[in-house]
Amino acid sequence: MLRGFRSFHPLVLLLYYIAVIAGLMLNQHPIFLTAAFLSIIFVNLILDKGIELNKWKYMIIFLDLFVFVFTPVFNQQGNIVLFELFSRAFYLEAVIQGAMIALTLSGILALFTTFNIVMTPDKFLYLFSKFFPKWALILMLALRFMPLFRKRLADIQDVQEMKGVSMKDGKLRDKAQNGMLFLQILLTYSLEEAMQTADSMSARGYGLQKRSQYKAYRWKSRDWSMLILLFFLSLSTLIGWQSNKTILTLTPELESILLQGYSWFYLLGWFLLISLPIWTEGKEVIKWNFYQREI
Amino acid sequence: MELLSTRNLNFTYPNSSEQALTDINFTVHEGDFVVICGPSGSGKSTLIRLMKQELNLHGTRSGEIYYQETPLEEHNPITLAKDIGMVFQDPENQIVMSNVMDELLFGMENLGFSTNEMRKKTAEIVHYFGFNHLLQQDTSELSGGEKQQINLASVLLLDPKILILDEPTAQLDPIAAKDFMYLLKQLNDELGITIIIVEHRLNELFSLANQIVMLEQGRIKFSQNPRKALSLLAENMTTYLPEASQLYLTFTSSPEISDIPSNVKEAKHWLNGLDITSNQTQQEEQVKPEKPLLELKEIDFSYSKHTKPVLNNLSLTVQDSEWLAILGGNGTGKSTLLKIIAGLLTAQHGKIRYKGKKVKQMNRKFIGYLPQNPKLYFLHETLKDEYDALAEKHGKSETEVQTLVKEFQLEALIDRHPYDLSGGELQRAALVGILIGNPQILLLDEPTKGMDPAFKEEFASIIQTVKHTGVTIIMVTHDVEFAAKHVTRCSMLFQGEVIVTEDTNAFFKDNDYYTTMINRITKDSHVPAVVTVEEAKMSWQMKKVLPSSV
Repeated sequence: MLRGFRSFHPLVLLLYYIAVIAGLMLNQHPIFLTAAFLSIIFVNLILDKGIELNKWKYMIIFLDLFVFVFTPVFNQQGNIVLFELFSRAFYLEAVIQGAMIALTLSGILALFTTFNIVMTPDKFLYLFSKFFPKWALILMLALRFMPLFRKRLADIQDVQEMKGVSMKDGKLRDKAQNGMLFLQILLTYSLEEAMQTADSMSARGYGLQKRSQYKAYRWKSRDWSMLILLFFLSLSTLIGWQSNKTILTLTPELESILLQGYSWFYLLGWFLLISLPIWTEGKEVIKWNFYQREI
Repeated sequence: MELLSTRNLNFTYPNSSEQALTDINFTVHEGDFVVICGPSGSGKSTLIRLMKQELNLHGTRSGEIYYQETPLEEHNPITLAKDIGMVFQDPENQIVMSNVMDELLFGMENLGFSTNEMRKKTAEIVHYFGFNHLLQQDTSELSGGEKQQINLASVLLLDPKILILDEPTAQLDPIAAKDFMYLLKQLNDELGITIIIVEHRLNELFSLANQIVMLEQGRIKFSQNPRKALSLLAENMTTYLPEASQLYLTFTSSPEISDIPSNVKEAKHWLNGLDITSNQTQQEEQVKPEKPLLELKEIDFSYSKHTKPVLNNLSLTVQDSEWLAILGGNGTGKSTLLKIIAGLLTAQHGKIRYKGKKVKQMNRKFIGYLPQNPKLYFLHETLKDEYDALAEKHGKSETEVQTLVKEFQLEALIDRHPYDLSGGELQRAALVGILIGNPQILLLDEPTKGMDPAFKEEFASIIQTVKHTGVTIIMVTHDVEFAAKHVTRCSMLFQGEVIVTEDTNAFFKDNDYYTTMINRITKDSHVPAVVTVEEAKMSWQMKKVLPSSV
């Protein structure tokens, strides 16, 4: 995808996620949270038709139910008693609290599924290497060694199994012992081989001077506009939270759930913030349909 | 212009009494294509490693190495890292990054290139090599040939003036190796990059190189142009020559230097002037009694439900005490077939008969397996410990082990750590371990990869001794010349199926591409078709020399 939400600079994308997660935790109000959850589902749909979210749906539903049912059981604060069960009061405030926690959790989880789609490992690594270049290099070397180790261990297992030394059958003690032996060869062997890797690194001038970094992602003018937009929308959320307009007061007295006055304004700001991917992706979808019609 | 030269170079490794290199004097000019050859342990790798200062070889050195007429030490290390590029033998171990793009960038990042420079240079090289489709892939998913090309490209991105390569094709299959060589030729011709390459396989290199350096026991035996080198090798190191030259030398009593053919075209030309008949009027029909040891019938195998089957309706019969070679390109299922025979994998469909009895899976006890990398075979600190453990497992007495060790000439090495052995010793050591288990079938997985010609012969004779003890040998290989010389039958694997199994001679005589150089020379010519020099020696009779057609 060369346009759309995913094409923004990884730093902008990261800031978006930080802002939305912070907002989800700050705006503890059923309407704000419901709006957030619904928009995030829509973001999922527009990014990959909900394929990634689908993998997580049972997890999300289960977690929601769990929180929604158990919060009122343990939370004994409130004024309005809904009903009593096994000589335990169930308060309306606690039920609302449970719903809000469940919505926050599912919002964050659903957001993370989009994070997987948008922040691909290379973007993540790019950001990481910007702040910790040395660690990022080590991380990349480690990533390279994973498949190598796996392949070598499989080779060792095959060869040794032909010799009758196996990790699969026999007594547990023998299996464990053989497994340790295999790991031992894997390490000795890999150390030997790593000498060659080291040679190849120094042959290409590793360690002679400070490394430069290939910037795979260019900062474009629309990254600036997006950044400014993000800034103002986050600011509005922050102010709303500061002035208590985006929070439902539960104690000492339950406030009306309905929104009043400025809260509507903050809700709009909040909704615009979350749905940034919808506008940017949606624009592409519309454009695409338009071009197709032209043809 | 003189680019790189050594003057009176000597080198000794620490704790070693012998000099690894003695009195090395040679010069490389700009645009040269230099091949360094010699038997294993002759100091080839040491020599080229000394030319690459960053590798920092431990030991004592005397004499100088000059780059552009200034000693190496006086150059700026960054200039040296850029100007002298190096590609190593193992395609896998040289790769540092998990992603092709990062791997290409690695060297440039080390030397502080700017993003724009990197972008431009990668774009150029990707275009030149034509590997757009590889750019986003993980390096672990590439084939050996592709890996080696990425390694080469990553070095070329630094704009080297000299490219040093340490047996870059030893681990590749013949086709990938040929491609790689021609790529080097292209770099040499089109970009004028000076190339220094260490190689065993001289076949193609004779027509590519303009200087051949022969090392022996740390000394330069000669340093000559290919034509001259051909004649010097002809005197006493014929195993290093292309088969075409070997054939010529076998049938010419007083060879002319300028006539020695080094490729198929030249050899055909030489044969044109000869009249040869076959002296074997009747082929000795050796009808051996059919005694199938192992029969595979209609074997299907795939690694998972949704992937394409690797083996598909495969049938193969292995005769008792034969040496069978399984040939075929990359990805045709050779290793998988070997694993099924070894009993490591179970086929999803098909029948296996062993000694006439139907079995579901092969019993691993009857089978010895020599892996491509014999290092993986050893679990213990010394050979002796390893053999003791194996002897105990298989109920063998110490004297039986002793005889095996003696037979394979390993007495002196018995207390060494396996990793301190040379490649050949390691292979022999692993074979002893396998033979302690009394296998009836011995499986060899690409055993000749990276071997020098002299050692290949030695290895073949070792396997022959094993075979004479009644062990059946099944070998997977790419090495056409080796198979043609030594094995009894050959099978060709194609798209997961054995398409033909024939006696070695018949097999190679039928083939056009997948065959030996000698067969390509003699096929469809006026002389009797043969597959190896040995066969020609036995069956050809030189009648008289026709008046030369030239």
